[in-house]
Amino acid sequence: MTTSENAHEMEKIEIVTDVLIIGGGYTGLKAADSIAGTGYHVILADQKNSDHQARSSLFGLKADFQNQLDELKKAVNGNNNIEFLPDVNINSATGVPGDFTIRLTSNGKDLEKKVGAVVVATDIVSTPLNHIYGLDFSDKIVSLSDFEENLSSADFKEKLCNNKQTVAFLVGFAQNGSPLLMKRILDSVLAISEAGNGATAYVYINDIKVAGNDLERLYKTGRDKGAIYFKLTQLPEISQQSDAPVVSFHDPVVRSDIEVEPDILVLEEAMTPSQINTKLAGILRIDLGPMGFLQTDNVHRFPVNSNREGIYVIGSARDIQDLSEAWTDVENTVIQLKQLLGDGTKEVPKFRAVVDREKCVTCLTCYRCCPHGAIYWDDKAVISPVACQACGICASECPQEAIQITGYTDDELIDQIRNAISDVKNGDPKILAFCCENSALEAGKAAALFHYELPKGLRMIRVPCAGKVDIHYVLSAFIEGADGVMVMACHPGNCKSETGTTFARWRINNAYQMLEETGINKERLEFVTLASNMAPDFAKIAVEMEKRIG
Amino acid sequence: MKEKHIMVMGGGIAGMTAARDLAGFGVNVHLIEKSGFMGGYAIGYTCKATTECLQCGACSVEKALKEVTESPNIKLHLSTTVEAVTSENQKFSAKLKKGPFFIDPEKCNNCGVCYEKSPVKGAVLHGYSKNNHPLYAITAEGIQNHRDFFASVCPEGAISIDAEAATETISVDALIVATGFEPFDPNQKPTYRYAEHANVITGLDMERIKRDHGALVRPSDGQVPEKVAFIQCVGSRDERLGHLWCSRVCCPYALRSAQSIKTQSPEMDITIFYMDIQNIGKDFPAFYEACKNDFRFIRSIPVDIFGEENDRLKLRVFDEAEGTAGLETFDLVVLSIGIMPNPENQAISKLLGIKLDDDGFFAHNDSLNQTLTSQNGIFVAGTASGPNSIPGSMAQAGQAAGEVLKYLGVAQ
Ligand SMILES: Cc1cc2nc3c(=O)[nH]c(=O)nc-3n(C[C@H](O)[C@H](O)[C@H](O)COP(=O)(O)OP(=O)(O)OC[C@H]3O[C@@H](n4cnc5c(N)ncnc54)[C@H](O)[C@@H]3O)c2cc1C
Ligand code: SF4
Ligand code: SF4
Ligand code: SF4
Repeated sequence: MTTSENAHEMEKIEIVTDVLIIGGGYTGLKAADSIAGTGYHVILADQKNSDHQARSSLFGLKADFQNQLDELKKAVNGNNNIEFLPDVNINSATGVPGDFTIRLTSNGKDLEKKVGAVVVATDIVSTPLNHIYGLDFSDKIVSLSDFEENLSSADFKEKLCNNKQTVAFLVGFAQNGSPLLMKRILDSVLAISEAGNGATAYVYINDIKVAGNDLERLYKTGRDKGAIYFKLTQLPEISQQSDAPVVSFHDPVVRSDIEVEPDILVLEEAMTPSQINTKLAGILRIDLGPMGFLQTDNVHRFPVNSNREGIYVIGSARDIQDLSEAWTDVENTVIQLKQLLGDGTKEVPKFRAVVDREKCVTCLTCYRCCPHGAIYWDDKAVISPVACQACGICASECPQEAIQITGYTDDELIDQIRNAISDVKNGDPKILAFCCENSALEAGKAAALFHYELPKGLRMIRVPCAGKVDIHYVLSAFIEGADGVMVMACHPGNCKSETGTTFARWRINNAYQMLEETGINKERLEFVTLASNMAPDFAKIAVEMEKRIG
Repeated sequence: MKEKHIMVMGGGIAGMTAARDLAGFGVNVHLIEKSGFMGGYAIGYTCKATTECLQCGACSVEKALKEVTESPNIKLHLSTTVEAVTSENQKFSAKLKKGPFFIDPEKCNNCGVCYEKSPVKGAVLHGYSKNNHPLYAITAEGIQNHRDFFASVCPEGAISIDAEAATETISVDALIVATGFEPFDPNQKPTYRYAEHANVITGLDMERIKRDHGALVRPSDGQVPEKVAFIQCVGSRDERLGHLWCSRVCCPYALRSAQSIKTQSPEMDITIFYMDIQNIGKDFPAFYEACKNDFRFIRSIPVDIFGEENDRLKLRVFDEAEGTAGLETFDLVVLSIGIMPNPENQAISKLLGIKLDDDGFFAHNDSLNQTLTSQNGIFVAGTASGPNSIPGSMAQAGQAAGEVLKYLGVAQ
C-alpha cells in the first residue's frame, strides 16, 4: 500500500525505443526520417503494395515538391534504421507505452513487433462529389483530381488557350471545404490564366477558405490575371443541354441573370479522413473525432496527442492538413518521443496508482473506464506507471475500492474533508469545494489572489480530476457537517482525461437522489464546470451558494 | 552534454511554449519579455465555453504560464529588451536592457494596495493571471508624476521609486524569435468612427469588457446590448491597406464569442457581417449550422458606422433577396480586428540580420518549414511569422524547439 513515505519513490524501468509509424505518405516518410534521425529504430508500415506510396498526387502540388518528396523517399530507403513493411494490415495492439506488442500482416506474413510508441500518419482521400451536384462526369464535367492531372500536360494547356476555352469551377456548395481544397482550386485557376492568353476561369464559390498560408494573395493573383469569381450562397442552376453544361444564377447586385456555358466544368472534391481510421481507433483504443479524424476536439490533445500516452496522431490522421502543418506535427512528435522514450531507461513513480491485488476481483471495470488506456491485466488489474496520468477515474469507479492514487488516497481525502470542515469558524456556512486541479483549483486560487469576495467558510479540496470525486466523499462532507458541497470540473470537452467531467456529473446526479432519500436539501449540492481563467465566475458561484444555504 | 543556453524573445504563448519544451530537455532558457507581464495578448482572453468548451485555447495559455513560472530551467526577464546581438563561433552574445523595476518581486506579496489607491488610472498595470508575479507593474510615467505617493504607498516596502534600468549581457547558443503580432488599429478605417463612438468596440475590447464585467456590456451605459453586430475582416484581406492575408483567428473568435454571449443572454439578437466564414474547430459543419440557427449572417461588409441617439449605431445593410440597401440600428458593434505584423519587426530584423516577408512578418527559409529563418541558429515561432491561433502558435513553438534541439545536437 502507498504511504506518504514511499509516495515519491521512483523506479528505473527498461523500455523499448522502436517506433511504429502507420502510413507511408508524405507525413509518414517525414516522420520516419526525423525519428530515425534521432537514433530510434523505425518500422514504417503502409497499406500499399509498392514502395512508400506518398500521398498519391500530393493534391496538385507543384513539381518542386515532387522533387522534395523524391529526395525524402531516397533518404528513407537508404536509412538502415528504417524498416519498411508494405501491404500491411494491423491486427492487434496490446501493452503500454514503452512496451507495445503489435501483431500485423505484411505481404501476407504474420509478424509480431515490439515497439515503445506508435505514430499514426494516415492520409486523407479526395473523393468526387458529383452525386451531390446531381451531375455525371463526361468530357465536359470533370473532377478536380482529373482536371489537375490534365493540367500537368502541356498539350492540354495549349488546347485550353488556343481554343479560348472557359473553365468553370463549383466550390463550396456540396460541403464546407477547407484551406487545403482552396489551395488546389486557386492553383488550378492560376495555372489556367498562366497557360497563356485565351483561357478563362470562372469560379462559382460559397465561402472562400483563405485561412492558410498565402491563400489570400494567391486568390488576388488569380483575379488579377483574369479569373472571375461569383460568390454565391446557393448552388447556381446547372442545366445539361446535350452534354454541354450551362451554369446560371441571378445576380442581385446588378439585378440580372448571368449565364455561362463553360467548355469544362470542374467539380470540387471532398477531402476526407482515411477509412482505415475507424479500424485503427478500435485496435489502438484511441478516440475517433467528430469527422472521422483520430483526435477529439480537446485543447489538451493538440497538437499531436491521442488520449493514450505513447500513441501520436499526426498530419492528416488528425485533421485536414497541408504539408507544412504535417511537418510541424512531425517535429512536435519527435520532441514528445524523446521525452517518452529517452535512452531506453526511464524513471517512473513506483506507486502512482496502486491496485490492491487482494481486493481486485478482475471485473475489468477499471480497464474499461480508464480514458488513457493505462490498465491491462495478468490475473488481476495492472496499471502502467508510464501510461497512467493519475486522474483517479478508475479508483472512483472500482466497485471493490481496490485502487488508490498516491497523494489522493481515500483515507487522505476523507481526512482532508474532515479537517477542512472543522477549520471553518462556527457561524460561517461551511462550504466544501472539490476542485479539479486543472481548472477550478486554479480559478479559485486566482479569485483569492485577486481579492474577489469569497465565502469565509469556503474550503477547497484539490483533486487530480473531477472524475476522482467519489460519491462517498460528497456524503462524508455532509456527514462531517458541510452546509454546502460543490464539485467543480472542467467544461465538457476540456477535461484532460476526456471523461472525468462526465463521470463526475453522473455521480452527482446519483448523489442528488441519495440526498433526497435522506432528506437533505438538494440545493446544498452543486455541480459546476469552469476553466482555469474563470476566477470571477468561481467567486460568483461560491457566493451564490453561500447565499442559498446561509 | 555541455550546458546549453537559449534566448527566447517574446513571452507570449509561442515564446512560453518553446521555452517550456526546451527546458524539458535540460536546456537553460532566457525568456525575454518586453512588457511587465508574461503571456502576450492571449493571457487576457476569457473562456468562451457555452455549455461546453469551444476549444478557443485561452486556458492553454494560463497553463503554459504556470509551467513556465514553475520551471527551474527558465529564467524570466520581464520589462527587458534586447539592445544588441553579436555572433561569433556559433555563440550569440545579447546585450539586455532590464527594467527599471519599481516593484521588487522578492518583497511584493501582490496585496494590490498600490493599484487600488493609485491616484490615476493607468499608472499601475494589473496582470491577468495569478501566475503573473508581481501581479502589478508601475509605469515610469506614473512614478515620475506621483513620486511621493509611490514612495510611501507599499506596506511591504517593495516599491523603489529611484530604480534604474540595468544592462546584462548573456551568451546563448541559439535563439527563437517569438515577438508576436499587433492587433489592427481600427482608427486606420476612419469611417467606422471607432474613436468617436463608445459602442464601437474591437474584438480585443470585447475580451476586456467580458473580463471586467463578466458579460458583454455596452461601454456607454454598462447595459447588456439587445442587438449586436460583428463586422468581420477589419484590417485583414484588405487590398486598399495592402493587407493580403486572412488573419485566421477573427472568424473563430467572433463566432465562439457570439456563441458564448448568446448562451449568457439568449435574447440577444446577433448579426454577423462577413465576406467568407473560415473553418472553426474539428466539427465545423455542425458548429456552423448551430451558428446559422442562432445568428443572422449577411455577406457584405458595411463601410460606414453612423451614430444615433442613445449611443446606438446605424449600419447600411444590404438585402440580398431584394437587391436593396437599408439602414439598420444596433446597440453595439464589434469590429473583428485581425493580426498585423509587430511594428518592431523591422528593428528586430536588423538587430538579428533575419529577413522579413512581403507582409512584414518574419520570412521562412523553407517554404514548408515556417520556423527556419534566413540565419543559422535563429528560429521563429507564433504570430511573429504570420497570422496564427493559440494552438497553431503552440505547435509552431514545439517545432521551433525541436529545430533548436537538432541544431544543438541534443539527443534523447
Ligand atoms: C481580438 C483577438 C482575439 C483572439 N482570440 C483568439 C482565440 O480565441 N483563440 C485563439 O486561438 N487565438 C486568438 N487570437 C490570436 C492569439 O491572440 C494569437 O494566436 C496569440 O496571441 C499569438 O501568440 P504569440 O506568442 O505569437 O504573440 P503575442 O501574444 O503577441 O506575444 C508576443 C509577446 O512578445 C512580447 N514582445 C514583443 N516584442 C518584443 C521584443 N522586441 N522583445 C521582447 N518581447 C517582445 C510582447 O510583449 C508579447 O508578450 C485572437 C487575436 C485577437 C486579435
Ligand atoms: S475495477 Fe477494481 S476490482 Fe475491477 S479489475 Fe479494476 S481494480 Fe480489479
Ligand atoms: S472555451 Fe477556451 S478557455 Fe474555455 S475551457 Fe474551452 S479552451 Fe479553455
Ligand atoms: S478569419 Fe474571417 S474575419 Fe478574419 S480575416 Fe479571415 S475571413 Fe476575415
